[in-house]
Amino acid sequence: MNNLLNPKAFTLVKFPMILPHFIIVYLLITSALSAGEQLRVVIDREVSAAWAREKVEPVQLADDATFLRRVYLDLVGTVPTYKEARAFLDDLAKDKRAKLVDKLLVDKRHAKHQMQIWDLIIFTRNPANPAFTRKRDVFKSWLEKQFAQNVPWDALVRKMMLAEEPGSAMFHVQYRNKPEDETVAVSRIFLGTQLQCARCHDHPFEDLSQKDFYGMAGFFVRLQVLQETKGKEKVYTIGEKSSGEVLFTGPAADAVPGKKGEPVKLKFLGGVSPKEPALPEDFKEPDYRKIKKAPYPKPFFSRKEKLAAWMTSTDNPYFARAAVNRVWSQFMGRGLVHPVDDLKPKSEASHPVLLDALAKEFVAHKFDLRWLIKEIVLSETYQRDSAGPGTVAGPKWYERARVRPLSAEELIDAMRVATGFNVAEGIEGKMPSSASSYMLKIFGKPTDGRGNFQGGVPEHLYLNNGSQLRGIIRPKKGNLADTLLKSEAPWDERVDHLMLATLTRLPSSVEREKLVAYITEKKDDTRETQERLEEATWALLNSARFRFNY
Amino acid sequence: MNPLCTPQEHFSRRAFLKGSLLTGGGVSVANFGSLFQAQAAVNEAQKNGKRCILLWMNGGASQLDTFDMKPGQPTAGPFRPIGTNVDGLQICEYLPKMAKVADKLAVIRSMRTGSPGHPDGIYHMHTGYKQSERTPHAEIGAVIAKYCGNLDANLPSFVRMGPTGNAGPGYLGPNYAPFSLQRDGRMPTFSANSLKPEVRERRAELFRFLETEFAKQHPAEPFESHRLAKERAWRLLRAREAFDVSKEWPKQKDRYGDSNFGRGCFMALKLIERGVPFVEIGHDNYDSHANNFVCHKANLQQLDPAWSTLLLDLEDRGMLEDTLVVWMGEVGRTPNINNRAGRDHYVRAWSIVLAGAGIQGGQVYGASDKDGRDVAENPVSEGDLFATIYTALGINPRKKHFWGKRPVWLTPEDAAPIKPLLS
Repeated sequence: MNNLLNPKAFTLVKFPMILPHFIIVYLLITSALSAGEQLRVVIDREVSAAWAREKVEPVQLADDATFLRRVYLDLVGTVPTYKEARAFLDDLAKDKRAKLVDKLLVDKRHAKHQMQIWDLIIFTRNPANPAFTRKRDVFKSWLEKQFAQNVPWDALVRKMMLAEEPGSAMFHVQYRNKPEDETVAVSRIFLGTQLQCARCHDHPFEDLSQKDFYGMAGFFVRLQVLQETKGKEKVYTIGEKSSGEVLFTGPAADAVPGKKGEPVKLKFLGGVSPKEPALPEDFKEPDYRKIKKAPYPKPFFSRKEKLAAWMTSTDNPYFARAAVNRVWSQFMGRGLVHPVDDLKPKSEASHPVLLDALAKEFVAHKFDLRWLIKEIVLSETYQRDSAGPGTVAGPKWYERARVRPLSAEELIDAMRVATGFNVAEGIEGKMPSSASSYMLKIFGKPTDGRGNFQGGVPEHLYLNNGSQLRGIIRPKKGNLADTLLKSEAPWDERVDHLMLATLTRLPSSVEREKLVAYITEKKDDTRETQERLEEATWALLNSARFRFNY
Repeated sequence: MNPLCTPQEHFSRRAFLKGSLLTGGGVSVANFGSLFQAQAAVNEAQKNGKRCILLWMNGGASQLDTFDMKPGQPTAGPFRPIGTNVDGLQICEYLPKMAKVADKLAVIRSMRTGSPGHPDGIYHMHTGYKQSERTPHAEIGAVIAKYCGNLDANLPSFVRMGPTGNAGPGYLGPNYAPFSLQRDGRMPTFSANSLKPEVRERRAELFRFLETEFAKQHPAEPFESHRLAKERAWRLLRAREAFDVSKEWPKQKDRYGDSNFGRGCFMALKLIERGVPFVEIGHDNYDSHANNFVCHKANLQQLDPAWSTLLLDLEDRGMLEDTLVVWMGEVGRTPNINNRAGRDHYVRAWSIVLAGAGIQGGQVYGASDKDGRDVAENPVSEGDLFATIYTALGINPRKKHFWGKRPVWLTPEDAAPIKPLLS
């Protein structure tokens, strides 16, 4: 059995017919969980086993304040308010972390946060077919609704592939008339497999041929996108023709202009072909260009239905593994297979037993995302401190918590929560929308090509001198500055309040002393005190402790 | 190692000695393989003193009405060619000052490129790669900022103004992001700081205190990168007077021409002088689907004094030999003149001009056929052009980077530098 747990023994592509059966057998006869054992226990057991094996020393568990800020940002995409932070830190209950996680998982901001994460995975900041996809609010609200209802992951992906619900069509719209691009995207995002090499030549390191690639592209080649305008909205409907094949012209290097390719046999990733009935002889394909109104005619045989069913089936060898690896990396900063979309058979997982257990239990729990997330964030592994030696942002053995920059959306939202902007103005949402694309440009891509954080000068010019940040720090009735200036508590306490509101933690005694001295340098001069308070708030909002989830 | 990339092109003698000391002494060619990757050598290459100014003809200038005229042919327009200080080289009558510095120019008349639209052409002619590839390629300014710039400098390494490229630093990351000036050369709004210097300083000191406290227990790289970026932004503000040329401009505006573009060229000179390795100045708008000749006549009269004076001033200061000046846009224009007296986009045969940084001046490379409809000899692709530019600047055009796990090269596999242009 051990052999099967070893990723080297996985030869999914070579023996595609055999492996799924092995997996089923394996599911029936073994379990990584003992009776009644929670997944979080397995997580911690496997991660500690690796520490022992790799001779890695873990750091201590994170304190309540660190955990609070981390889990807020990870689950609801923003920081807690001063009151929420105070209440959590003062709570003496032993199970307060678990209670908090339960509360946040059903918070409507969690669904929105999940939506933003997956929307970015699917579309990136720079979506394909931007004329159609740049504005995709209908898709976003569809996706948010799926997360709000905790629709099982398999059902969600099935719906996205079938594209029959209002708003769900956007995935296919992105790859309109580009079946090859869609093949790469679907395989990468949902099956954790990188196929792009096989587009132009047989894959150099894997048992993937160009024909495997084009066999998969056959599932998308017949898709049609109908665009209708309803009021101000553009509405998209996905149709599917009954004929049309991907033509294969051989390796790109040998391509000759004008040479027509051979049709490629339809094939699921891994080699199985669905049974496809022959078209009746008198079949005539409707002229799709002439169809101006939904619905499209039903195809004689729907390839996308076959694909959706195959992808999300419980014995698909890729689907659950790809999903758990992505979710794991979302919270742990690094996939068990890293990068997350390179889960091919020959990739080594850092913790192979754990990856198997996650995938298996995810299937056993009917692809319940909320359950999976809860088990991950309540593991001790997730709750490690981020302090300690080592400079890597995402430690491979999870001996220390990862450090990740806040996304542009999180950062903007966190600034508003921290300064009490929302309370003061009574407005939901982000900072003035006119700046949002600008903000995305400034904060949206803070990494080098390999995902390492790189701070940018434009970001700091904005933070140093921009009027928006100054505007939200300044006292306004009911906001943070206003509350602190009106308070009659000693400045020690007011500085505690300031730190809790901005950085979700109390200052060290050195920090408290410094901040009090800074703000009250001329304490009889109310105007100077206000300015100094604004400066101190600015410094806190600019600090690494605000910029990162750590 | 890329055979076209001789060590001499990459490293100064000092780098070589430094590198070989690090590798154990023996000055042998065999050492170059390892030396090439040595951090010391990379650091030295960043200070190789090479600079680049890109004059970006936004919309796409007409080769037939500038550097590849076809007098007497049906595709010729009304402009007349004039002689230059290079035998046999004729250019447009509206570039009289350029005609006097033609000996510094290498005219490529055989560009054949692959992206005929504006967004895709602008991307392609800034990165050397097609926009449809989903990898975020780094644009030329970011590449030069990385390899010829110095992150510790006060001024940014990649400055641009006017209508220019917009691909950004891509896989190289925000360290190499452009610093974009407004069209008239003014600093972006966010560069103005309304705080009094002493307030700015005490606020900065508080920030540093908080970061230092935190760093005691948290040495992770992202925190350090954040702190360094903040310091870079502050250094930039302290050096901001470099962007203010208003005092010198009255004396220069007759030389460079009183236009945003002329002023931009003068500012580029000043910035290059202060060590900025890359400046891009956009010139609008050459997209002459209608009234091509009215449009070009007006534009060329701004271009001519600005570009020629820039070349002469660079030469006067002894900087032309290290500074590459590139003149290009995203597309050329059709040989056929349409019924609105316009020329449309054309990528089968068009022209680009290089000067400085060791480029052999006074020559024409490649040729279009007699009507300018196709390349007659030596076609040059985007990749070839970028390989030439990078080689001239001492940058290995096949330098490998990564996007995730996937390798990306500075120029595509089939690209090669144009040897006759490089001295």
